Amino acid sequence: MAIIFNRKSVVAFFCWAILFATPGYSQQARLTNFVVTSTRDDLLIFLTIEGAFTENMKAAILSGVPTTVSFNISVDKIRNFWLNQKIVDKKINHTIKYNPLRKEFTVNRSWESDPIVTESIGEAIHLMADVDSLKVIPLSMLEKGVQYQIRAKARLDKLTLPFYLHYVFFFLSMWDFETDWYTVNFYY
Amino acid sequence: MTIESKSEKFNSLLSLQDHKRRKREFIFVIAILIVVAILTFVVNRIVSFGPDFPISNTILMFVLINVNLLLLLLLIFLVFRNLVKLLYDRKRKVIGTKLRTRLVVSFITLTLLPTTVLFFFSIHFITKSIQFWFNAPVEQALENSLKVGRLVYSHLEDNNRFFLERITYQIKTKNLLSPEKIEDLNNYIQVVQRAFNLHAVEIYAINSNRLALCVDKDFETQIPAKVTANNLQKVPASGGIRSISEEFNGGEIFRTIGTVPFKAQGMQAEAFVVLSVLIPPELFRDMQSISDGFQEYQQIKLLKEPIQLTYYVALSIVALLVVFCAIWIGLYLAKTISIPIMQLSEATVRVAEGDLDVEIDVVADDEIGSLVDAFNRMTRDLRTGREQLELSASMLRERSVEIEKRRKYMEIVLKNVSTGVITIDADGNISSVNKSAEKMLLLNSKKLINKSFKRLLKGQDIQLARQILEDLRMSRNNVAEVSLRVVINGKPKSFLVNINALSDDMSQQIGFVIVLDDLTELEKAQRMAAWREVARRIAHEVKNPLTPITLSAQRLRRKYADHLESPVFNECTQTIIDQVAQIRNLVNEFSLFAKFPTANPKPSELVPIIKDSMALYREGYEHVEFILEIKDNIPVLNLDAQQIKQAMINLVDNAIAAIKEHGHIWVTVTHDPILKRVRIEVADDGTGISDLNKTRLFEPDFSTKKAGMGLGLTIVSSIIADHNGVISVQSNKPRGAKFVIELPT
Repeated sequence: MAIIFNRKSVVAFFCWAILFATPGYSQQARLTNFVVTSTRDDLLIFLTIEGAFTENMKAAILSGVPTTVSFNISVDKIRNFWLNQKIVDKKINHTIKYNPLRKEFTVNRSWESDPIVTESIGEAIHLMADVDSLKVIPLSMLEKGVQYQIRAKARLDKLTLPFYLHYVFFFLSMWDFETDWYTVNFYY
Repeated sequence: MTIESKSEKFNSLLSLQDHKRRKREFIFVIAILIVVAILTFVVNRIVSFGPDFPISNTILMFVLINVNLLLLLLLIFLVFRNLVKLLYDRKRKVIGTKLRTRLVVSFITLTLLPTTVLFFFSIHFITKSIQFWFNAPVEQALENSLKVGRLVYSHLEDNNRFFLERITYQIKTKNLLSPEKIEDLNNYIQVVQRAFNLHAVEIYAINSNRLALCVDKDFETQIPAKVTANNLQKVPASGGIRSISEEFNGGEIFRTIGTVPFKAQGMQAEAFVVLSVLIPPELFRDMQSISDGFQEYQQIKLLKEPIQLTYYVALSIVALLVVFCAIWIGLYLAKTISIPIMQLSEATVRVAEGDLDVEIDVVADDEIGSLVDAFNRMTRDLRTGREQLELSASMLRERSVEIEKRRKYMEIVLKNVSTGVITIDADGNISSVNKSAEKMLLLNSKKLINKSFKRLLKGQDIQLARQILEDLRMSRNNVAEVSLRVVINGKPKSFLVNINALSDDMSQQIGFVIVLDDLTELEKAQRMAAWREVARRIAHEVKNPLTPITLSAQRLRRKYADHLESPVFNECTQTIIDQVAQIRNLVNEFSLFAKFPTANPKPSELVPIIKDSMALYREGYEHVEFILEIKDNIPVLNLDAQQIKQAMINLVDNAIAAIKEHGHIWVTVTHDPILKRVRIEVADDGTGISDLNKTRLFEPDFSTKKAGMGLGLTIVSSIIADHNGVISVQSNKPRGAKFVIELPT
């Protein structure tokens, strides 16, 4: 009986370990400086990713690997005794590409019209990590006196390697990051 | 247990095993499906191929990874399961485990050695190769190429800076930015464009509006886009210029921005001058290639360690796969050899224990298969042999039972047959004596069995036996016939003895069978019949002349008595008359004997008959005392009263004749209800009868009396025989004779 129990325990642990396995991230990326504000017409947010761009990632960027960070931002109307109602679900991307000939970084932010070119990697990473004054939703879509929840999270969406190096993905996955959902409740 | 029941048991065992196997396969399939699902989930979570990776390829990769992992897991499971089983079997000392262990160890050793060598060689080779790739002067070459590219941009920028300094100075000094000199500004930039061989020259106001534009005539249709305000505003004061580039008609347009005045700071800038140089598409592509090559090299360099690790892992997996495969193949081969051996061993033990229904199911076309086939054939032959033996034994048993039955039947026949049968084996020992022989010869067979006749017979008897054996030897048909007259226990007996020498199929003598026929009574009856015939003839032939003789003698006497007064004549005639009378008596007696009627029995009381017979003599013989004893309740018998009375008269008459002076005559009547016999004893204390006379007592020509033909006892014997009775004579104790009559009830 003890042997069976032990065997069962081992099998159960093995199954648990496989089913609940999550990618092992090298760092604990998180969202900071999360600010929700508004202009006269729109709801704006400010946020910054911290702890995402490690030296390895910087090296990858400098070696010309196009890297994309995506941000998921959603606004839900909070409802008691019922599931929250999704008002808006927005996804924006920040892509960085290094040009070694010109020694300059081109940061393309999907919510801005023009790409930003800079020669400073610090500035480029800052541009990648920051979301400034992003218009999330027009205030006209919100109801007065209702509680809303704004949530955001960021993840390394794409680190495009040449096709023939795809087989090392197992190891590169160690560079991936994904932040937890950052949630702010507010009354309009 | 019958063969059918064994077969049924075997079939049920097979179906049970089949059911177990199916159940095991079902569980195995379910387990594989679960593992596939888990692996798919895990791969999905761990590995991301990106959105630009084709879905078909993704599925293919999933399948490949899953299949590989499954195979590996299955192999590892099988190997470890078999190894554990092997260890367990070794511990239990199961037959064949030593061989299996040896084979597995051999396979592992044979595989580990080259695999290890190959593995470490490959690791070393890969390490060295990767180091060589990255140590080669490729990087330097790429960097130099990159530098060349950078120098192109730097050269263009330096040129543009030089031109910008001149242009901005002229614009400032000639005040060409004033609105009234806009024509001059256009003219000036045209001159400058041509003079400096630029693709385009643009003038932007401080508010980023393009004030003037001059494009090379060859590219008049290809007007570059406006420079954004952001780029205009970012012109640093320190360097005085800012360069940007963008793709343009397959090539690249290199644009350098400068302030008017040159190196103006912040709000001091009055306008912006943008000089554009077109990099030809070929050069642009070349420089792009340099850039891409450099980046790719950098990326590979960045992934040097992961790639190396990937190779190591792949090699390790392959090496492990090879090792596990080898172990598994070793185990499999060992199993294919050891299992039949084990089954053979077990089957041999079962055969040794007597179970011949053993069949080994291993199907192989190698030597082991031949061995198994030979074993199965052997057990089949043994089984067939045993079945035949059992059949033979059964038949033998049946035959034996039949023989025993026959023997018993023969024994019963021999026991109940009236003739005596004695068998003697080849060694001369008596092997059987039947009841009739015992009774005839008054022998006890228990004392005779297994004793040699040579030791049992003595004197003249052994001589006779030798003579018979000699006769047998001389005879053609191994049969000898001898008539024997012997006195047994005082009684004369007459036997016809048939001796048959027994021979088997090989003409080997196996003994003798002696058949005894008691002819005593038959002879007596034959003699009696002969005597009756003689008596009848004498009575007939002799009686007729007697009357004329008597009459003649009497006539002679009457006629010549007076004339011949000779006494001789009288005496002679008288003698003739007397002797003829005596002869007549004799003839009458013969006549009576010859004409003696057959018995006509009917139910009668015996005792009155005896009393009547004795009463005839009781008065006439005062010197004899008659004693009648009726001891039991005598039943009514089937008797011819007249004849029985005649017999009793004869016996009493003989008894009286035997008593010379005073004497006694005892008549005793008893009844034995068990033997169903009535016994009449007539005893006297007279002169008695010698043993020699006893043998001939009941024959017609025997008499101790001077007168008479001695037919009295013969008649008695005849009467008793007619009544199915027996008469015998014994000596009366202390003296005299005793006649014993036994009559059936």
